[in-house]
Amino acid sequence: MSQEKPLAERILKNYALQTIAKKVLIVWVVVTLSFLIVRGLPGNPVDIMVLNLMDSQGISEDEARTRAASLLRLDLDAPLHEQYFDFLGNLLRGDLGDSYVLARGKPVAEIVFQRLPWTLFSVGTSLLISFTLGMFLGMLAAYRRNSLLDQTLTNLSAMVGAVPNTLWAIILVLLLGVVWKIVPLNMMRGSVSPGVQPGFTLAFIGDVLKHWLVPGMVYVLTTLGGWMLAMRSSTVSVLGDDYVTVARARGLPDFRIITAYVGRNASLPLVTALAISIGFLLGGSTVIEFIFVYQGVGLLMSQAIAKRDYPVMQGILLVTTITVIISTAIADLLYGWLDPRIRIRGEQE
Amino acid sequence: MTILTHSLAGFWRETVKTLKLIARNKIGFLGFLLLVSLVLMSYVGPLIVPPETRADTTQIYKTPSREHPLGTDFQGRENWVMLVHGGAEVISVAFLAGLLTTIIAVVVGAFSAFLGGRADELIMTVTDVWLALPRGILLVVTAFFISLEDVWALALFLAVFGWPSLARQVRSQFLSLKKREYVEAAQLLNLGTPHIIFREMLPNMMSYILIALVESMTGAIYSQTYLVFLGLVPFGNNWGVLFSLAYAKNAIYNPNAMWSLLVPMGGIVLLQLSLIMFSRSLEEIFNPRLRTGV
Amino acid sequence: MSADTLSIRNLTIEYQAKRGAVQAVRNLNLDVRRSEALALIGESGSGKTTIGLGIVRLLVSTAKITSGEMIFRRFDKTGQVIKEFDVLKLSPGEMRAFRWKDCAMVFQAALNAFNPVLKISAQFADTARAHGYLQGEALRKRACELFDLVRLDPERVWNSYPHELSGGMRQRVLIALGLLLDPPMLILDEPTTALDILTQRNIMDVLKDLRDKLRFSLIFISHDLSLAAELADRVATVYAGRIVELGNVYDTFQNPQHPYTIGLMSAVPTLTTHRDNVSSIPGSPPDLIDLPTGCKFHPRCPLAIEKCVCEEPTLSPTTGPEHLAACWRWPEAKQTLMPNPK
Repeated sequence: MSQEKPLAERILKNYALQTIAKKVLIVWVVVTLSFLIVRGLPGNPVDIMVLNLMDSQGISEDEARTRAASLLRLDLDAPLHEQYFDFLGNLLRGDLGDSYVLARGKPVAEIVFQRLPWTLFSVGTSLLISFTLGMFLGMLAAYRRNSLLDQTLTNLSAMVGAVPNTLWAIILVLLLGVVWKIVPLNMMRGSVSPGVQPGFTLAFIGDVLKHWLVPGMVYVLTTLGGWMLAMRSSTVSVLGDDYVTVARARGLPDFRIITAYVGRNASLPLVTALAISIGFLLGGSTVIEFIFVYQGVGLLMSQAIAKRDYPVMQGILLVTTITVIISTAIADLLYGWLDPRIRIRGEQE
Repeated sequence: MTILTHSLAGFWRETVKTLKLIARNKIGFLGFLLLVSLVLMSYVGPLIVPPETRADTTQIYKTPSREHPLGTDFQGRENWVMLVHGGAEVISVAFLAGLLTTIIAVVVGAFSAFLGGRADELIMTVTDVWLALPRGILLVVTAFFISLEDVWALALFLAVFGWPSLARQVRSQFLSLKKREYVEAAQLLNLGTPHIIFREMLPNMMSYILIALVESMTGAIYSQTYLVFLGLVPFGNNWGVLFSLAYAKNAIYNPNAMWSLLVPMGGIVLLQLSLIMFSRSLEEIFNPRLRTGV
Repeated sequence: MSADTLSIRNLTIEYQAKRGAVQAVRNLNLDVRRSEALALIGESGSGKTTIGLGIVRLLVSTAKITSGEMIFRRFDKTGQVIKEFDVLKLSPGEMRAFRWKDCAMVFQAALNAFNPVLKISAQFADTARAHGYLQGEALRKRACELFDLVRLDPERVWNSYPHELSGGMRQRVLIALGLLLDPPMLILDEPTTALDILTQRNIMDVLKDLRDKLRFSLIFISHDLSLAAELADRVATVYAGRIVELGNVYDTFQNPQHPYTIGLMSAVPTLTTHRDNVSSIPGSPPDLIDLPTGCKFHPRCPLAIEKCVCEEPTLSPTTGPEHLAACWRWPEAKQTLMPNPK
């Protein structure tokens, strides 16, 4: 029994280490996949890129190859595995190559990291709202299950979430901007009004929030239903657990039971879904930022697709993937910390 | 002759029984009717209504009226005709993708659950890795590199991206079923793994699989929509393409042009809603505990 | 002035089911005296757990208490009544105070009786805070005293999470928690089911110890007759939502008067019972939605006559004023059914 403390600590570290190790593995897989996509696929994008360069800039094939190689930071003639290791090395130094169309010669890393905070901000804020609201509504529906309120919420959640995000974006622009004219159209374009100085001023933050509002609503609408349904089923399951009845038998006040007994236990499974949600929203950002001309990574991606700028595409892919994986890691660690059953593996069961 | 009438009568009885079951949930029944209507419109409709090929520049962006029931688009074509012709591809892709996703997920999930141990761990790690990635962006990037020319290709592509999360759920269903006694009995009788999976466990999971199929279809439509919108899937005159075109032509700001945007969007939304509503019926049929009351 | 802690009169509890109303408890009358241990025995579905839940009003939302009164009394050390009230008339706030402080119900599923994410100390603190009881160090001391009483190592238990303790330990922690507020009445619902036999023995010893020391009233719900016999002063047999026999433990076990009780006793084999002599009660418990007429036991009773089919017997004295049974034919019951008592 007295070995407990050091044992517990070891196990805690173990879980954390395990989580991190898994994530590093995933990152490596994605990085390798990304490399293979660019270099290994049939209809080799690099060759196409070379052709494009030749066409658009009227240069010879050799020159085009050299140009492509430098943009991608690849030695096109070296054996594949050497190129791969170069690629890995560059990545670790933060070198993602240069953009060759969108911003001639500018390092991809620079472009991407300039846009990334905007996307993370809009996605993150929306996720927070969606999660909190969804938790609240889910618990409400569970406590009043099978009532009219519950059935309405459940059906509504399913239906709202089924409408593709693209359509929601257009519907919102249409309704809010054109038909009802509640929101001025220029607030639905761009991430910030022209001429507003960045900084911690109220004016700037207010402006940023205004521009985030409608795209944020789209993010919330597409995810709210999912959170609500998940929380509802989790809460229903917890409400059936004995310790809730015992808590009532102990004369505990309802508020305490709802928060510390039902709420905490019901929200545990949802924590792991948080990170997946980020992945989902980041994916959707491509379309949504396109529609709202929001200067984030998603818009950059759609522009890169349109202009066939491979280095930028690859850079965005890598950066977003790593972002998602980091958030998954954080979510998993958070879960481990919140649930003592995982945190300290009991000695008896 | 009597055998034929017998089987037809039997078939009719079964159909009526199934319809009655579906009708138990009002929303589900409504969804079912809507779904059937959309399917009929999209597959039978084009046989009746000739496709719009001519562009009539004098009739651009007409609002709905008796001559133009749902208005016209930027080329003067009738929106309602485009609606009738635009559904088939969307539904086909959705159904095929859903079917493929479900098949792959069920097979993988079932074998993973059943084999257990190392194989199971390996498969689960693969799905975990897959799930951890921002699939939206991967979808977009890969779609860019691979040309998706026809319905089957797109369906397969969507299935490849969609199977992991369903496989996980299937696996946990199988794991819980695996503990039941009849499975143990079958194992003791040495009936062989494929037999156990396909003849013993699968029939009990049919309900779950059907609902999963419908969900996969809605997911396929979801992904389809934005792939088409971003121009990564260049074919046909389906609803997705129609509204993307309309949007590109800034129909959103022109009150007259709005209908060319709304009509195909409406088609997609109605299809999604009908599937979701229908799955409510399925859930209620197959999960009696969900029914209200004790 | 009654010296009973709890007096139940005419209690009726119904559940709403699709087919109709399930009559789980019908016109129940029961008294639990100060410091007495009363055992409620019967088959599953007899209504005994419902009675317990009814007393603390923690029934499922589909259940309704349609009639009755439950007078609860608190006494001071000299035996004077300090408080007297009808539990069924309490407001939600008063009910909350009643639960655990006046009457603590310890459920059978102690395996999952604790919030998995809170330490035992936090859950004790929650309970204490909800009733304006001790806090902090004073609370810890009191809890450790109780842990000693239930034979647990306080150090081991106080700072642990529930999943770190075994099933038997959790059951004992729950009992200790039940005693925290020094309630005059404790209800134990199948406290040893789902535990292994050694732990069972442990808990029974603990319970006997506690009763000796603390002298609270106890309602002990069980289907295990031998455990009931060990702990109880009086025994009540419950069938189809009513008490069919009530008497002190010796009388009831040695001299059962109701055919159902006799059947229960006979069904428990002893070490020397020949395998051909193991009996059980034929038939199955009645459908609580569609109860038979007259005496609810008559379809399964070998002694049933026409009167049993028409009129339901009331609980009346049999061999003595304190030994009651609800049977028209109680004089013949024991001789006919149990000619060779074990």
